[in-house]
Amino acid sequence: MSEARSPSDRKTLILLGNPNVGKSVLFGRITGKYATVSNYPGTTVEVSSGVSWLAGEAWRVVDTPGVNSLYPSSEDERVTRDFLLKDRPEVVLNVLDSKNLARGLMTTLELVEFGIPFVVALNLADEALDRGIVVDAAALSRCLGVPVVQTVATTGEGMADLKRAVERATVATVSGSATPEIRRSLEILDPLFAKGFPGTRAVQLALLAGDDTVLTWVGAGSAPGIGEDVLYKAGQTERSRFARPPRQILFEGREGRVREICAEVVTVRGKLAPRISQRLGVWALRPWPGFLIAGIVLFAVYQFVGVFGAGTAVNFLEGTVFGKWITPGATWVVEKVLPWEFFRDILVGPYGVIRMAFSYAFALILPIVATFFIAFGLLEDSGYLPRLSVLLDRVFRLMGLNGRAVLPMILGLGCDTMATMTTRILDTKKERIIVTLLLALTVPCSAQLAVILGMAAGLSPKVLGVWLFVLVGTTLATGWAASKILPGARSTFLMEIPPIRRPLFRNIWMKMQVRLAWYLKEVVPLFVYGTLALFFMDRWGLLKMAERGFAPVVQSWLGLPAQATEAFLIGFLRRDYGAAGLYSIQKAGFLDFRQVTVSLVLITLFMPCVAQWLMMFKERGWKGALTITVAVLVVALGIAGVLNRLLLLFPFLVS
Amino acid sequence: MTERQKFPIPSAEREDVEEALGLLWYQRELGVTDGATLRGALHAAGSPEGFDRLVRHGFVREESDHVLLTSSGDELARDVTRRLRLAERLLTDVLSLDRSAVDPNACVLEHTISPEVTESICTLLGHPVECPHGHTIPPGECCGRKDGRLSPIVVPLSRLAVGESGRVAYLQLKDHPELHRLLALGVIPGAPVHLHQTFPAFVVEVGESQLALESSIAARIFVRRAEESKIS
Repeated sequence: MSEARSPSDRKTLILLGNPNVGKSVLFGRITGKYATVSNYPGTTVEVSSGVSWLAGEAWRVVDTPGVNSLYPSSEDERVTRDFLLKDRPEVVLNVLDSKNLARGLMTTLELVEFGIPFVVALNLADEALDRGIVVDAAALSRCLGVPVVQTVATTGEGMADLKRAVERATVATVSGSATPEIRRSLEILDPLFAKGFPGTRAVQLALLAGDDTVLTWVGAGSAPGIGEDVLYKAGQTERSRFARPPRQILFEGREGRVREICAEVVTVRGKLAPRISQRLGVWALRPWPGFLIAGIVLFAVYQFVGVFGAGTAVNFLEGTVFGKWITPGATWVVEKVLPWEFFRDILVGPYGVIRMAFSYAFALILPIVATFFIAFGLLEDSGYLPRLSVLLDRVFRLMGLNGRAVLPMILGLGCDTMATMTTRILDTKKERIIVTLLLALTVPCSAQLAVILGMAAGLSPKVLGVWLFVLVGTTLATGWAASKILPGARSTFLMEIPPIRRPLFRNIWMKMQVRLAWYLKEVVPLFVYGTLALFFMDRWGLLKMAERGFAPVVQSWLGLPAQATEAFLIGFLRRDYGAAGLYSIQKAGFLDFRQVTVSLVLITLFMPCVAQWLMMFKERGWKGALTITVAVLVVALGIAGVLNRLLLLFPFLVS
Repeated sequence: MTERQKFPIPSAEREDVEEALGLLWYQRELGVTDGATLRGALHAAGSPEGFDRLVRHGFVREESDHVLLTSSGDELARDVTRRLRLAERLLTDVLSLDRSAVDPNACVLEHTISPEVTESICTLLGHPVECPHGHTIPPGECCGRKDGRLSPIVVPLSRLAVGESGRVAYLQLKDHPELHRLLALGVIPGAPVHLHQTFPAFVVEVGESQLALESSIAARIFVRRAEESKIS
């Protein structure tokens, strides 16, 4: 896209609406560039922006996180509210769910107070029709005093009308439904604010509702000489005048107005027979057949990511593309061009950037994360993931968590690094620490999982059984113990379940591209640094020293051959790399059944990879990350050692 | 034995005494026990001699600047508060009176309902613990028993049967600030609810949204059962 005007001069259009109303798909339609879209409440934490040609010029279009209210009670909602106050977009596109109009309009009436011109998109018109709900767009437009356009974002219906409507966006004429007592308080607050600042009403109402977070952005809006403290006190004084909380009074006022509007514009013609997708949505929530469906879904994901991605695609890229062409080609060129051996080794030596970092990043991991992103995108867009949260809520409660924590844990099966980042969706610090710990300890990533399953393939199924048993047991026990040790309470489980929807392949594909771009930008450099570190450790003999140092633990406590040390050390660079190291030792015939079982358990539990480790520092701070690291080392070595002893006593468990 | 026999008061004065005790109870909930303030409050409520009358009947005594309810005063105040707040719930949830009509009518009702009727109302409403304004309803004997002679009309969502429908009567939000999220999710008085399942988590359809929640939240959403399922 050509940048004729600098982005800062551009007019801004922001999309605003409840979660799961199809905002992000609409955003994709308007900008043509797709951003992260999600069915899972809370995952659209980051704000995505794009560019679109509207009303004869280029606009900046911003997709905000879904909100249930503009009197924020979550970080997402605060982000969106701040956007309205701070960035003052020229136009807001208020996206409503046609089948759930009343709920959407509650937010619309809050939006009205910000004094920003807006347009309403009545989205999901198709789902509403399925349920026999008809919304009269023209009547709604008359009620609100702003343009209203009916849309089906998934098919693109109504998009042209919507883009044209942006030109006609106006400030709403509908009143914010304040009662006389509220209005009196607003008049008392008026002198404290600068004249003509359009967001004043919203700020005043937020003060009355007791939302003091609004004060941060009040700066430009207050009258000369009026500071935050004065406004804070004024808000308190006004609030104390009411017998009932003003927040409640405001809520009831809006609720009454919404009811009036709905009575005028919504016709319900009775439900049609539920679609198969709706039935499926209900089944997937019940223990039966919910767990069966979960099993089928996970098996399908494993077939696609574990077998196709980590098997077929990796073999081709690593064996053929890198093994036959790129690495030999690069080696040939480097040896011709670079006369210094040191630099040759840095690029194509055994710990060289091209031989190790690039081939691992592009040949081994890229196909796995790409297939994983596609599978995950399908699960996300179909609305399946929240159903898994419901099924597993009880189990997660044992670990001081609730069903919401299922998402990061499932994501961890793809990439623990990304999953560590998504712990942000959890409500309390305690939950975030527990999930970060479990991700570091017991959740194998898809790349590692593929190698592990490969190793166990030729052996007795008991090996895999013991591995799974130890892993699930460790997860539950560690989670339970952590929930007892860490202070604070579990947060309560309350989650919206979106309907099952047919995912659009176009969206999945574009979403995968955005995520892959993230992977290349964030993760590949880490590979290069890690490889360089290994290169110098090898060069200065540190690698050999470490191997010798750890040999006693490995040989006597874990009962493994000394060569296994390198695999565990290197597992820190990449989880799957460590597993691959063990694989080659096993192939050479150095491991018996007991040793395979112990090493599988240890490599899964042991240190997370360096990328995840750095992400832990970023998300949990150095104190938290170091504590988790120590906990992981102690638990991993302890459990693997005990398992070794047990298997020595009862060898029949795995043979 | 009723409290009327226990604490004989001339019937002409009874309403005023109850009114005044109810006010003191409320002020004590707010943490106000200061004598001067309370006299002022009673004065403002149109009962200038109310305070002295309470002292005369032995319902309150003053210690330094603080007003204390005697045990008989405490019992009567608690009882009148319970009657008032239950009456408010009855008028709001079952009779669906407009908010402006609830308060004056509840004020009349509180003085006329007998202890037996109070228990019946409490049971009918599913032993509510909060009045529509969010103040605590002092529990009565029936609340401990939770007897099933009378099938309650308004029950917590957690006591609804799977497949049952109804409308949200009220939410008990006070001790669970997180639950304000429920309002934003569309769980508001009057919204139709349908209970899909209770295990592993509660799944309810509220309006056109489907919500999953755990039992501690379900216990704080009170539902007025749909007509067909009222008699069970």
